[in-house]
Amino acid sequence: MTAHDVMPDIELFQPVTVEDASAIAARLNGQGWILAGGQDTYGWLKDRAKSASAMIDLAAIEELQGISETASGISIGAMTTLRDVSRNPLIIERFPILSQAASRVASPQIRNQGTLGGNLAQDTRCWYYRRGLSCYRAGGNLCYADTPTSMNREHAIFGASRCVAVSPSDTATALVALDATMVIANGDGEKRVPAEKFFLGPAVNITHMTILRPGDILTRVEVPDTWAGAESYFEKVADRDVWDFALVSIAAVMKTNAGVIRDSRFVCGAVECVPHRLTAVERALRGQPRNEQTADSVAGLASAGARTLNHNQYKVPLVENLVRRALRT
Amino acid sequence: MDIVRFREDVWGREVLLGISWDWLWVVLALTFTAIIVHLLIMAFLRKEPRPSAAGKRLQRHDGFDRLFHWVMAISVLVLLATGIMPVLGIDFAWLTIHWVAGLILTAAVIIHVVRAVFFQGISSMVVTGEDLREPFDTTVKPGKYSLAQKGMHHAMTGLVLLVIVTGLALFAVMDTPWWERSNALSEATLGWVFVLHGLSTLGLVGLTALHVYFALRPEKRFYTRSMVSGWISEGEYSANHDPARWMPDETA
Repeated sequence: MTAHDVMPDIELFQPVTVEDASAIAARLNGQGWILAGGQDTYGWLKDRAKSASAMIDLAAIEELQGISETASGISIGAMTTLRDVSRNPLIIERFPILSQAASRVASPQIRNQGTLGGNLAQDTRCWYYRRGLSCYRAGGNLCYADTPTSMNREHAIFGASRCVAVSPSDTATALVALDATMVIANGDGEKRVPAEKFFLGPAVNITHMTILRPGDILTRVEVPDTWAGAESYFEKVADRDVWDFALVSIAAVMKTNAGVIRDSRFVCGAVECVPHRLTAVERALRGQPRNEQTADSVAGLASAGARTLNHNQYKVPLVENLVRRALRT
Repeated sequence: MDIVRFREDVWGREVLLGISWDWLWVVLALTFTAIIVHLLIMAFLRKEPRPSAAGKRLQRHDGFDRLFHWVMAISVLVLLATGIMPVLGIDFAWLTIHWVAGLILTAAVIIHVVRAVFFQGISSMVVTGEDLREPFDTTVKPGKYSLAQKGMHHAMTGLVLLVIVTGLALFAVMDTPWWERSNALSEATLGWVFVLHGLSTLGLVGLTALHVYFALRPEKRFYTRSMVSGWISEGEYSANHDPARWMPDETA
């Protein structure tokens, strides 16, 4: 596929308020591409696999920037850079898995430019789709990744429905584990959506990875104090330590009392089109001590129901082993 | 307005994806225009006195036929809802419900066809020369089914068979509990199958809306009642049917 060194002709809007951005998006009626840090966007445009006639750059909207403490937790503006999320003392103190997840995104350069909102709303990395093939996710009638000869090492082992792409977001797993809330603005006002419901699997919508629709702008993420200070674990397994997407990741939070797990949330990334909650593991852990024996007893539950493709069987033991590692003290 | 949906792939080829869903609005507009025109015509026509539902009850549909009618009706409604709502932007996990309803419809249609052809006979549904005189001669009364009812049945049959055949072709290449997805159909063939599946869907949207409209019309409501309870009254029978062409078998 030809890559082009010049940008296509795009009308650029640079609003300074969310209201203006929403109004422009509504006026453009779905033709305006919402631009955050651009780390996902510019790849699409450069490869000419997707194009936009107009772009709404959110960089100048101050209210979308920064991290603040609220009565019930913290609020993170969607345009806050991943670097700031990873280094913020408040996040490091209360929600270390979010800091760790943000610090494992791509590379330092990308984290300086990429935003939390962009990381959450980014498109999948399935290369058949990104290459511009007319697959299901692109509105077509086929999946090129799920065939006997496909290269599908990075693809889904859970929740596939025609499309087998996975969510590439590292911060999504942490935010689902922390039971965060996404705040979305549009012409009708503001709506708040639990992080778990923000992401869409292909069974529900095969062409969108999130509930964001034309005119919707993710303005901030609210992380409640529910899991503040809880024991936690984040690990991302990738082919490279830097500038790579997860093969499998895990974000886990646990409330314990004298070493016994009272409640927990375990979420895996890169195994499904949405962050994959390990609810069977969570149920089994209730009342169990956090130790090696418990880890071994629940690890198998993490992969129950997995359906592997030709080249991603390794994800099954990887998921199980990440659960084991999360439970080791 | 596009007729079909195309997409240019990475090699610059145009790939046929299916029917353009702009046609849905055309079909809905035409259907509701037809309904409004019919409503206006019927409002200006002289009202014929409606026969009483009291008196002797005559069997029009037996229980087995009624059951299958409603199974097929519900299946078609579920198929239309699960097929069209995602197109309208209403997100939910529709695919499994869709193919389960499709399989139920397929089974019901097969049983209905076998029963109609081999056990009941299809003569009551064949369009005859006498039927064709109905619209032009008010003295001609139908047998068990009027020309309009036969026309609706045959149109519905054609569309349902087309939607089933194309639906089964799509079902055969997707993941199911019994087999895994295959690439047995090429991208171009899939495009044509989706065009035919979409065309039959659009036809069913229009016909189903008309069918429901006529089922709710006051002068036709006794037919709807007979599809629920099985009977029509002797008065309804003699006012709407020719005893020489249809004699109900038994008293309900």
